[in-house]
Amino acid sequence: MPVVTARFVDHAWRRGCDFVILDLEDSVPRHLKAYARGLIEDAIPNVSKGGAEAFTRINHDSVQADLEAVVWPGLAKVAYPKTEHAEEVRLLDTIITRLERERGIRPGTVEIGPNIETAVGVANVFEIAAASPRVREFGATTGGYDLSRDLGVEMFVDFDQFVYVKGESELAARTLGLRVRGAPFVANTTGSVSDPDRAFRQAEAARRCGFRVSGGGLNPATVDSQNLGYTPPDEDVCDAHWVLEQYQRLEATGEAWLEVESRVIDRYEAARARDTLEWAALCAERNREKAEAVARTTAAMAEQAPPQK
Amino acid sequence: MVPLTDAGMVSQAWRHDADAITLDLEDGVDAARKAEARGLVKKAIVPTAKSAAEVFVRVNKSFLQADLEAAVWPGVCGVMLPQVESAAEVLEAAEIVATLERQRGIVAGSLQFIPLLESARGVWDIRSIITASSRVTQVGLDESDLAGDLGINPLPDHDPFVYARGRLVIEAIAAKVNPIGMAYPLSLRSGVAPESEIHALATKARNLGMKGVICPHPGWVAPVNAAFTPTAELVAWNKRVREAFAAGVAAGTAAVPLDGRMIDVPVDEWAIVVIATAEACAARDAEKHAALNRQHKCTAQ
Repeated sequence: MPVVTARFVDHAWRRGCDFVILDLEDSVPRHLKAYARGLIEDAIPNVSKGGAEAFTRINHDSVQADLEAVVWPGLAKVAYPKTEHAEEVRLLDTIITRLERERGIRPGTVEIGPNIETAVGVANVFEIAAASPRVREFGATTGGYDLSRDLGVEMFVDFDQFVYVKGESELAARTLGLRVRGAPFVANTTGSVSDPDRAFRQAEAARRCGFRVSGGGLNPATVDSQNLGYTPPDEDVCDAHWVLEQYQRLEATGEAWLEVESRVIDRYEAARARDTLEWAALCAERNREKAEAVARTTAAMAEQAPPQK
Repeated sequence: MVPLTDAGMVSQAWRHDADAITLDLEDGVDAARKAEARGLVKKAIVPTAKSAAEVFVRVNKSFLQADLEAAVWPGVCGVMLPQVESAAEVLEAAEIVATLERQRGIVAGSLQFIPLLESARGVWDIRSIITASSRVTQVGLDESDLAGDLGINPLPDHDPFVYARGRLVIEAIAAKVNPIGMAYPLSLRSGVAPESEIHALATKARNLGMKGVICPHPGWVAPVNAAFTPTAELVAWNKRVREAFAAGVAAGTAAVPLDGRMIDVPVDEWAIVVIATAEACAARDAEKHAALNRQHKCTAQ
């Protein structure tokens, strides 16, 4: 969200987001950049009070001034737009390292999220992803607005324009052992940024492909459906329990595999089931964390401003 | 793309409104007639260019020296180099062309190269190939030869070159070279096709990042030109984008909702490009039509 739009920032903590990106870049008009920088320090605790992590997207061409304004305790990640070269990431790392030291932040806390949004960036994905240990998650899922402009293509077509881009990015991330952001193609021919059904289908498709990190969204109407889409549904959890029960039976027999109800049960299926249960537990824990944060904040606010009679 | 030994096609090529015409010495010419075809290039240049089309010549990899000597004349914009597999091949061609430019009074460095990649090796090494010489302005795949190289016989429903085309687009644009190509399956099947199919697949090619299409048949030119020209509807939408964005910025935000979409800096920048492209297409069409009218007047006299 543009950090200059106060009503977005003030309501963000109630939305149920896992993270909030405070934007200094393309949603902020040029003449408001300096003013926007001044807002980040207060916005970080403000958007985090519902349990969300606070991220900031800085500008490509004012790294020094932007980092000075955003690296404060509570900031989890700096997203760097239009990353094209590993040196850019290394420069960010150097400045962030100094600011962490100066501002009492545990060294290495702040992540760097290089956004791949140009052909040159795609051509250099591996070097970029490998440029700093602060890059812990990598992939190409941002809406594609910048990449489309760079490639000279219309957006919102009915086929996947970015197969190669996503493939190269994922390959780099997996080779380097990073968390992978990925987005299987789900057509959006209207260009809508607020359609909850589409957001759900996109998130569900991502989860089914094994992705667990989203690139986020542009409209609060999509938050709940994204959270839901990334969370394993009850029937998947039940099925995983069933698979593990069958696997225990199999282990007792000493065989390598077993066919039950025309499904194969083996150690790969068991591993997949364990994975689903682990992920479901993590999702539940995260939801609890967020609910507790919201409850704490609501209670504190009620204390500060008792309801008027 | 016009085979030099087909006199009828060569003499009529200017009539089809192509932005560029490539005189072919390679696959369109029988092995026995290569020498004859070489002798036809020089005289074909001026008539081919009379409707303001740029003229290119496709040479044979195995007769590089002889073909370039036959092809590099004033009036030729560049050469298409088939089956390129390494930077060394591009440099070899560049050296020959530089000599010919000097000998024949052509501005040094003006001749462009369009390498065509037709093998796994070429696709893999695209970066070194297209950055080997500043003469490389466009690059494409020859998908039927690529299928041959890979030993595959593709089915129409299964595009085998998603990766190759994706790599072409990314590496070319990263190197500021124009990727050219068609969408599948017409990328592999040359010849006659319904105009609506050509238009749809050329539009898809543009939306994959291609900047142009090599037309194997004159019937392709009109639908390809239409697909690469922004429609009036698209221009009108992008003018609304620019207005909405300007109003948003004036009101203190650069993220503006418009018809359910989100308009921000890159969307506004793209709108500028679309409007400028429409104007450039109109100017180029006017240039071609003016040339065509001059020809018709000459013919009438």
